[in-house]
Amino acid sequence: MDEEILSDFLVEASELVDQLNEQLVDLEHSPTDADLLNAVFRGFHTVKGGAGFLGITPLVEVCHRAENVFDKIRNGDISYDAQAADVILRAFDVISDSIEALNAGERDLPENDAGLLHELDMLTKGGAVVIEPEVVAEPVAQEVSLHLAEGVDPDGDITDEEFEALLNQRDQLQSDVMPVATSSEVSLHLADGVDPDGDITDEEFEALLNQRDQLQTAVAPKSQVEPKVELHLDAGVDPDGDITDEEFEALLNQRDLLLSDAEPTPSSHNVTAAPIVEPAVSPSQPVSKPKAATKPVVAPSKPAPKSNPESTVRVDTRRLDEIMNLVGELVLVRNRLLTLRGTSDSSEEISNAVGNLDHVTTDLQASVMKTRMQPVKKVFGRFPRVVRDLARKLNKKIELELHGEDTDLDKNLVEALADPLVHLVRNSVDHGVEMPADRIANGKPETGTVILAAEQEGDHILLSITDDGKGMDADLLRRKAVEKGLMDEVAANQLDDKSAFELILSAGFSTAEQVSDISGRGVGMDVVKNMITKLNGSIDIHSVLGKGTQISIRVPLTLAILPTLMVSFCEDSYAIPLTSVLEIFDYNSEKTNKIDGQRMVRLRDKSIPLFFLDEWLAPHAVKENYDEDKVVIVSIGNQRVGFVVDQVNGQEEVVIKPLGTMLKRVSGYAGATITGNGNIALILDLPGVVQRFQ
Amino acid sequence: MMHLTDSKGFTDNISLMDDMEDEDFGPSIRCVMFTLENEIYGIQVSKIREVLRVGNIRPVPGAPYQVLGVINVRGVIVTVIDSRSMFELSSKEIDDLSRIIIVEVDDERSVGILVDFVMEVKDIPEKKFEPLSSTKDNASRNIQGIAHYQDNVIILLDVDTMFQDPD
Repeated sequence: MDEEILSDFLVEASELVDQLNEQLVDLEHSPTDADLLNAVFRGFHTVKGGAGFLGITPLVEVCHRAENVFDKIRNGDISYDAQAADVILRAFDVISDSIEALNAGERDLPENDAGLLHELDMLTKGGAVVIEPEVVAEPVAQEVSLHLAEGVDPDGDITDEEFEALLNQRDQLQSDVMPVATSSEVSLHLADGVDPDGDITDEEFEALLNQRDQLQTAVAPKSQVEPKVELHLDAGVDPDGDITDEEFEALLNQRDLLLSDAEPTPSSHNVTAAPIVEPAVSPSQPVSKPKAATKPVVAPSKPAPKSNPESTVRVDTRRLDEIMNLVGELVLVRNRLLTLRGTSDSSEEISNAVGNLDHVTTDLQASVMKTRMQPVKKVFGRFPRVVRDLARKLNKKIELELHGEDTDLDKNLVEALADPLVHLVRNSVDHGVEMPADRIANGKPETGTVILAAEQEGDHILLSITDDGKGMDADLLRRKAVEKGLMDEVAANQLDDKSAFELILSAGFSTAEQVSDISGRGVGMDVVKNMITKLNGSIDIHSVLGKGTQISIRVPLTLAILPTLMVSFCEDSYAIPLTSVLEIFDYNSEKTNKIDGQRMVRLRDKSIPLFFLDEWLAPHAVKENYDEDKVVIVSIGNQRVGFVVDQVNGQEEVVIKPLGTMLKRVSGYAGATITGNGNIALILDLPGVVQRFQ
Repeated sequence: MMHLTDSKGFTDNISLMDDMEDEDFGPSIRCVMFTLENEIYGIQVSKIREVLRVGNIRPVPGAPYQVLGVINVRGVIVTVIDSRSMFELSSKEIDDLSRIIIVEVDDERSVGILVDFVMEVKDIPEKKFEPLSSTKDNASRNIQGIAHYQDNVIILLDVDTMFQDPD
């Protein structure tokens, strides 16, 4: 197997699989959407093509059958119902797994499960007519024989119009899945009295075109056009109920589209009358050869390309990291210069140059950063499937809405957020949304809604998972906390509702009475919480009993640059992530108490544990008097603690650099950075720091 | 790759100065030689990125005892290990002769090793090396072999196993 071609194929296939994943679920909502059906068909077809070229037989087998099924579906022979969807999704899983395995370096794929292949075959056979659909699989097939309008001299010069007509004819024919059946029947007739040898006028030509279109519609009984001439209500609309304005409008549109059939418009959406054209069909087909110079510019039947291809360039992330590092370096040089400017008696020019450098680096940094940005769609794409599968398994009816899919965030973040989000969405589906019967009993619509949204909020991204389910019961959570021994009853009763909700984020806290394989093992939410904290993010829970729950996650736009508070001990500086810092004040020993061996500071009638960081960071400098020191209050999870530091040096945006070999496992550090004066500062990892003191 | 060997003349000179012995033929290992206490150690040149003078080493409180701290090598934070504590030798003040050898463990990780003195680069015939016959399991893990060559005992370090992260 040619590794280079294979890796190209895998990149493409992985993207297609991602797309298919979304499209397949969308398809269940609008199973007759011609554009979507075509897109899915093409997806399988392209994967099959690549796999076939590389000789990956198991992949070809599955793709081929899936393709056949979709061929039938888009012809209207069979419908994409839930049953078909299950089989197709299983096939899709096989494809997706195979590609993952290939990506992981596996080269010999296992044989396909014969049962699945058989089911796919059965699906295909479910259609009315059994026709070898292979013809469509290769749109270039020779079957497409074009017919000249009667009376046109095949040896004579072809006019532009005639050529156009041929092209159209070809498009139409190719779009038809039964080319043989159709093409033989579509013969156009000239109106009486028209001299077949004479020049053709525009009107006559138009008439012929219309004639042809009508014939084709009539001739291809299996195509979706004919049965659809009656108007269809959207699924779920009660035909006997009152009609709303929107529904009426929709019906009108539907009718218009059907009526405009004779002159197909590219904009037809739900109605599949518009001819389907394989994108693979290029003008360099044998037909166009005789007059290659004549450009088939305005083939009226050609629908506009469905979506613009993403205008992106694939860049090796390692290369990006290098650029990022260099830019980081530039930023550091700038910092150094800025420091210099403050100290020496600088001339105006230096200060201008530095100012310039400041601008340039800031811009460069921003633009390079953008190359790392990816739309959050990459994570969201998998959720329709997750929700669909879960909902089916649990017999719930759930609609997933995605908002703000185009919000960009750092590539690392996109990857790091995937798992926590999956967990939260599963929770919403499993614990949040009630069973359909319960929902109806509570006067809610039968179908529950889960909304997954992303938006940018300054230099943060706000992700939220909202469901309209049963909400959380703060009292139940308080009771559980006592039962599980996390706190005593008094403490539990003092929690306000919000703090009670946050209990679900603590380790070993699961309220599900029954442990299912979906959620409820009590290992989930605290892991989610830790992962988000690691990304310098925060979680917020809102819930109204009986109405629903909203979980919001706030994460910084990028992981590479971190706003910090610089503090120091003796000569060594340390950086504390600024997002955690709540306030800074002078240390005053009179305001502290020693409680149970732990020094606490009183702050607005609350006692907050104090940690003297120099005990750990500067153990050799024995210090008696801390009165010159500062206290930095930080929030770690739901907890507030105070760090006593020698000096606070102010804010600085730093570029995070990983600590090297043998230091990865040292707890308390998130990395290192280089400060304005060229020294190395260590970035503190707050949960790790607190751990060190326990 | 290796800064010391950038000028070809330099290495040529060394081989010219060497007494040519019969055993010198055959494949050889090019090593950077350095000293610790009174012993001579070697590290394969292919593993070394550069040799630096000792600058400011930033200590990392809480790090394993062999780690002296971190340095900034053109924007990359590199851990510096004290070779003396690695071989359980008493520590010694950093002086003008001290150097940090930057070793590339793999594509992504490099490590600095603080040594007393860097001598030279030398080609040592492969067949001169023999595995260390030692009963100390732990210590010998970091030593690839020893060579008796031109009246010296050269200890060849195995940097691959030396810096394997436990995870």
